[in-house]
Amino acid sequence: MFEGPVQRLIDELARLPGIGQKSAQRLAFHLLLVEEADARRLAAAIGDMRDQISLCERCFNVAAADECSICLDGRRDQSMVCVVERPQDIIVVERTQEYRGRYHVLGGALSPINGIGPGQLRFEELKSRLEPEGIAELIVATNPTIEGDATAMYMAREFKPLGVRVSRLASGLPVGGDLDYADELTIGRALIGRTEL
Amino acid sequence: MAIRHDQGIVLRSYPFGEADRVVVMLSPNKGKIRTVAKGVRKTKSRFGGRLEPFTHVDLVLYEGRNLDTITQVSVIEPFPKLRTDLDAVIAAGTMVEAADAVAQEEESSMRLFLLLHKGLRSLEAGQRSPDLITSFLLKLADVVGVAPALVDCASCGRVDDLHRFSFAGGGVICDRCRGEGAVRLRSGITEYLAALSTADFMELPGTSDVLAGEAMGIARRFVEYHLDRKLVSLAVME
Repeated sequence: MFEGPVQRLIDELARLPGIGQKSAQRLAFHLLLVEEADARRLAAAIGDMRDQISLCERCFNVAAADECSICLDGRRDQSMVCVVERPQDIIVVERTQEYRGRYHVLGGALSPINGIGPGQLRFEELKSRLEPEGIAELIVATNPTIEGDATAMYMAREFKPLGVRVSRLASGLPVGGDLDYADELTIGRALIGRTEL
Repeated sequence: MAIRHDQGIVLRSYPFGEADRVVVMLSPNKGKIRTVAKGVRKTKSRFGGRLEPFTHVDLVLYEGRNLDTITQVSVIEPFPKLRTDLDAVIAAGTMVEAADAVAQEEESSMRLFLLLHKGLRSLEAGQRSPDLITSFLLKLADVVGVAPALVDCASCGRVDDLHRFSFAGGGVICDRCRGEGAVRLRSGITEYLAALSTADFMELPGTSDVLAGEAMGIARRFVEYHLDRKLVSLAVME
């Protein structure tokens, strides 16, 4: 046990993902030894994030205003929406620099085993976006897991009848991987989704 | 600490630490087992899709103090069609959830394993009748020793005038014994439940939608009563 405030910080840090007591201790003492301004900047950054960031009214990405920077960007293709589970997934798609449409964050994936049904995800919000934005295609970018697949199937069933094209990210072999180590399911899907050269 | 060989059907998994998952499986010999799959949440994981729910896998495990660590996985049966159909996912989810609820750790569970395996297999083969779930739940109750009485009164053993079903009483009851909380049954349902409790999954008798719906309701409520919990997979699409 350390002096009150130090122990308090250690306890708080230890609650963060991937940080145990030992790492928390190291971080706490590091923050005690660095310039005071550095430590204050960290504290302010945490505070500012919580104060200023909310969810985008349109796509539920994290946003510093009513809408996120992607929704506010006029050069974006409005007819295409990439549907993801979490806001973090947007960054992953953005980094590819291959996509110029907008997004929609569902807030999770359908999971019968965990009791997560369509009511808990933002499908209705997505439906209400279709007409005003003239959305022609939904790209389902949920994880290639049972839950993600179930979500994609549900979306195909719900949205196709509304006259929207529903597509799914292809799944297959990771770049730089070894065929030997790939599992049957992945190779099977890679075969189905093969592309002509 | 030793290396152990086993097999199992993946019931569910949950995140563990930064990139690992705890995978809960049903093994025919050791009952419910909890194993750690290191690094599976990374795209480059060598386990990949092998440890997704419903997959029947062969395992090499390194025995740890609390949890065993998976060192090798190979797929015995991948059940790929289960993943391409939403109704099948929900049905398989219900089976796996119910099996998970009744399975015990460190306890041989060959019958439960075979039941689950058969259930998943008939889904894979295209069986989509809601009766499959009803039949599965009735057989599951039998495997764990709480099979409902369906051909004679659960209370006095009489074989006629069986018009009510008592969840607490353990099955159908006759007009004389009517217990508390018993529900009145539509005519023909007792016989239908009895037929489903022994029918082969691929050769289910079939009936009207109304009767099938009520049969499923009875089986579901019965199992939920004895598990003392709701089957959330079935509730998801309601």
